[in-house]
Amino acid sequence: MAYIEWKDDLATGISVIDSQHKRIIHYINQLTDALRLNDNILTGEVLINLIDYTLSHFAFEESLMEEAHYHAANIHRQTHDAFRNKITDYQKRHEKGEQVTDELFQLLNIWLMNHIAEDDSSYVPAVRENIPGINTNQKQGWIKSKISEFFK
Amino acid sequence: MAHIQWTSDLDTNIQVIDNQHRRIVDYINQLDDVNESKNPAEIEQVLNDLVDYTLSHFAFEESLMEEAGYPFINGHKRVHELFVKRVSDFQQRFKMGEDISRELLIVLKSWLINHIKSDDNDYVSLVQSNLTQDSKKNTDGWITRSVKKFFR
Repeated sequence: MAYIEWKDDLATGISVIDSQHKRIIHYINQLTDALRLNDNILTGEVLINLIDYTLSHFAFEESLMEEAHYHAANIHRQTHDAFRNKITDYQKRHEKGEQVTDELFQLLNIWLMNHIAEDDSSYVPAVRENIPGINTNQKQGWIKSKISEFFK
Repeated sequence: MAHIQWTSDLDTNIQVIDNQHRRIVDYINQLDDVNESKNPAEIEQVLNDLVDYTLSHFAFEESLMEEAGYPFINGHKRVHELFVKRVSDFQQRFKMGEDISRELLIVLKSWLINHIKSDDNDYVSLVQSNLTQDSKKNTDGWITRSVKKFFR
């Protein structure tokens, strides 16, 4: 499996969310490494970290969507719930001794990346519009990113 | 397991926060040490201290963010809540006699580092400028008051 690289079209423009997404990608790449090395201990550790961090990120995102009264917050939350259920399911199967790493890797690599690229972009306008204080931050972020883009 | 070494990329440069983060790192490293001893009473003691201190730190940090008008405070609080719940689940399992220490150490180490580098980093500039303004207005003492309030 190839490494996932952060590309600008993955950016939501909300820096805290982008930074969380980058860490998720970092873990997915670590998982790719661990699987390639056939290192079971490392794979176990990375899986714990990746799942834990993703669940924490979901909680953050859900709070943001609720606060912004994003109209599809419930649907988005249900997508997260589906992910949480799948993870619990894999954990149970793993405890029973089943080999679930490959399936789990598919879920993390494909589903999660799709989710970041497709679903997450949809809540951004509502969050930007309705959370007080975020616009000024956004502008600074935009200016900063333009400065670094043009003045390397 | 290896101790967490404090590296400069963990600094928020808000002195009071950095001191608290370092103290949490000390507790995690201490937990690592007593874990080797396999003495349940010792492990329980450090675990309780770690939880107590972390709760105070979260309350302090949340109040700092609130004071500064950080727009993502609710999401950040939600992440704290989820973490508290996660750790108290570990405490329950530990009380039931399960050996949770290895998994818990993996979670604690990576959670804290992720949280500092990604989530905490996001509030830093706003909190810093708020603290600078405060000291210009000669209303310092807020930090001292809050430290007293949250840490007995």
